[in-house]
Amino acid sequence: MRLFLFAIGGTGSRVLKSLLMLSAAGVRPLDENGKPVKDLEIVPVIIDPHKANEDLKRTEALLNDYRDIRRRLYGNDPNAEGFFANRIVTLREIMSNTSVTLGDTFIFNLGAVENAKFREFIGYDTMNEANQALTSLLFANYQLENKMNIGFVGSPNIGSVALNEVKDSNEVKAFSNVFRQGDRIFFISSIFGGTGAAGFPIMVKNIRQAANLEGIENRDALSRAPIGGLTVLPYFTLEGNKHDQRIATSDFIVKTQSALYYYKNTLTGANDSNVNSIYYLGDQVRSKPYLYDPGEHGQRNNAHLIELIGALAPLDFAGVPDSKLTDQDGYPLPTTAYEYALAKDELSINFLSLGRRTRQLIYEPMSKFHLLFLFLTTGFKNIIGQGFTEDSPKIKSDFLVSQFYRTLVDQFMLGYAQWLTEMNDNMRSVALFKPGEVDMAHAIEGVGVKKRLLGHYKVDNDVLKAEMNKLSKNNPKYSDHSVEYKLLDLFNQAAHNVFVERYENIN
Amino acid sequence: MKQITYLIAGIVVTVIFFILSCSDGFNIYEQMYFNQGYNDKMFNLDMYPVIAAITILIAWGGAAIYYYAINSVKFDRWYHWLAVMAVVIVLAPVACYVYNDTVFANNGLAYVGESIQFEMQTVLFAAVLYIVASFSMRWWSSNCRHTPLPQ
Repeated sequence: MRLFLFAIGGTGSRVLKSLLMLSAAGVRPLDENGKPVKDLEIVPVIIDPHKANEDLKRTEALLNDYRDIRRRLYGNDPNAEGFFANRIVTLREIMSNTSVTLGDTFIFNLGAVENAKFREFIGYDTMNEANQALTSLLFANYQLENKMNIGFVGSPNIGSVALNEVKDSNEVKAFSNVFRQGDRIFFISSIFGGTGAAGFPIMVKNIRQAANLEGIENRDALSRAPIGGLTVLPYFTLEGNKHDQRIATSDFIVKTQSALYYYKNTLTGANDSNVNSIYYLGDQVRSKPYLYDPGEHGQRNNAHLIELIGALAPLDFAGVPDSKLTDQDGYPLPTTAYEYALAKDELSINFLSLGRRTRQLIYEPMSKFHLLFLFLTTGFKNIIGQGFTEDSPKIKSDFLVSQFYRTLVDQFMLGYAQWLTEMNDNMRSVALFKPGEVDMAHAIEGVGVKKRLLGHYKVDNDVLKAEMNKLSKNNPKYSDHSVEYKLLDLFNQAAHNVFVERYENIN
Repeated sequence: MKQITYLIAGIVVTVIFFILSCSDGFNIYEQMYFNQGYNDKMFNLDMYPVIAAITILIAWGGAAIYYYAINSVKFDRWYHWLAVMAVVIVLAPVACYVYNDTVFANNGLAYVGESIQFEMQTVLFAAVLYIVASFSMRWWSSNCRHTPLPQ
C-alpha cells in the first residue's frame, strides 16, 4: 500500500518533520491486530509556494537524508524493522516510464504560482472595470500585491484561487499515474493560515472529481480513494507587529471558525464522504510567540508538541482497516472525526503525560533512537576496532568518514537534536528526554532505571556495547549485509534488550 | 570449525609440553636449564610434572579468567590482555618456586640460587602457554574475542 502524504504549508512541513523523526525511530503504522502494516510506502509531497520557508527547507533536507540513510540500510525493501523502518520515496522514484517529466524531489513544483504577484496571476490588469471592482471587494490591496513566492501570507482566499492550478500540474499527473486501488491519501494542513486551509479542500475536491480532470489516469481509483486529513487548529502565537498586520494571532480563531464551517459543508459533514477520516488537533495553551514573519525572512518556527502528535495521524490512518474506510462496493464511507487528548494536562510533557496507546507506539522506539543518538555522538568512535566492530562485516575507522555516517550523524542526528531542543523550549514544553543529558540511565524524562540487588542498573555505552558484542557473536545474519545495516540493526536489538531489562516499564 | 581447530591445537600443544616436561629422554626443562645435582633431584622427586601442571593451570586459568570472568568491554584492549599476561608470568614462577622450595625443604635440601634460575624458564613457558590458551579459548568470549588481535 502507498500512502500519499500531501503536506501543505508551513505546518505541513513541520508535521512531516516530526513524522520523519518518528519513522527514524522505527515507529510504524499498526494494523488492527497490532502488526506493522505490510508493504507500506510513504510518498510525501510538500505543497508550499514559499520555497524560502526555512521549515520547508529543513524538512526537505531531512527527507533527503532519511531517504539516503534508509536506502543504504534496506535498499527498496518496504518491510524493514528497526530504525528508519518506514520506506519514504518521492513520486519520481515510483513512477514507471511515462511521458510526465518530474524532478526527484519531495516538493511540488508550483512554478506558475510562485513567480507571480497575485494580481498578475489572476490577470487583474486585463479585467474590465466591474470585475476589478468585484475583485477589490474580495481581496485586499496587499493581497493583490502579494508576490506568491512567500506563500499566501495567511490568506486562504488567495490560496484557494492559486492552488486550484495544481490539478493541471505534472505532479498531479504523475500521482494519478502511480495511484492504485488500495492506496491511500492523507493531507496535513493547518486551518488558520493561508496555504493549508485553502489547499486541503481544493486538493480533495480535485481528487474526488478526478473523472472531470483531463490528462490523468486511474480516475476511478482516485475518486474512490480513502482520504484522510490532519487539520491543525490554532496552536501557536506570533509576536505582535505594529506596522504589518497581514497575519495576526487574533485572527486565527475567526479564520478557523470560517474554515470549519466551510469544511463541514464540503468535506466532513455527517453524510459527507469526501474525507473518510479527519483528525482535529489544536491546543488552547499557545506556543511561545514565534517571530512575526509573513514570509520575507524565511519563516522558521520551533518544533512543537502538536506537530509530534499530528505526525501520529497519518500513521494511524494507514493502519485503519479498509472496511472502516470503504463500503463493500469500494466507495468511501462518511467521515469519521478523531480528536486527541493528553493523559495529563501538563505544561511540561514527558512520556507519562501521553495516553497509553501513544506511549505503546512511541515510547520504546523513540527512547531507543535517543540512545542511538547518544551512543553515536558520545562513544562510538572509541570502540571501533573492538568487539562487534571486528566481527564480519568489519566496521573500520574509515566508516566514520563515510557518506552514510556523516549523513546520519552530522546531518540527521543534528536535525534530531535541534528538533528535540526546539520542542523542549516551546510551550507546552516537550521534555521527553533531558536536554544535554548524556547519562543514558537518566536521559528519559520521568523514567528511571530499575533497582537491582545493590543500587540501580547502569545504562551507558559500555552496557550497549557489551549487548551488541553478545548479539554479534557468531551471528551469520550480517554476513550478507552492509556494515551500516549491521550497526543499526545490532544497536536496535541491543537497545531493546537493555530497555526491557533495565528501564522502568511505563506502558 | 576454525574455533574448534584452534582449541584442539592449543590443547595438543599443551599436552605435548606436559609430556616433554615429564620425559626422561628429552626433557624440555633440562634442555633449557641443566645443573646435574639440581635436575637430578627435581627428576627423582617427580617435581617436573607438578611444575608443568602449575604452569599450565596458571596460564590457562589466567586466560580463562580474562576471557570469561573479566570479559568486560572496559578491559578489551590489547594492553589489558598484556596486563593479565604479566600477572601470569609473575605468578607462575613464584608458585613454582614456592612448590620447589617446599619440596626441597621437606627433603632437607636447599637450592635457592638454582631454583631462581630454573624458574626463569617458567616465565617463558607461562608466557607461551598463556598465548596458546588465549588463542584456543578466546573465540567464545562475548567481549574480548578480538583481543589481543582481531579474529
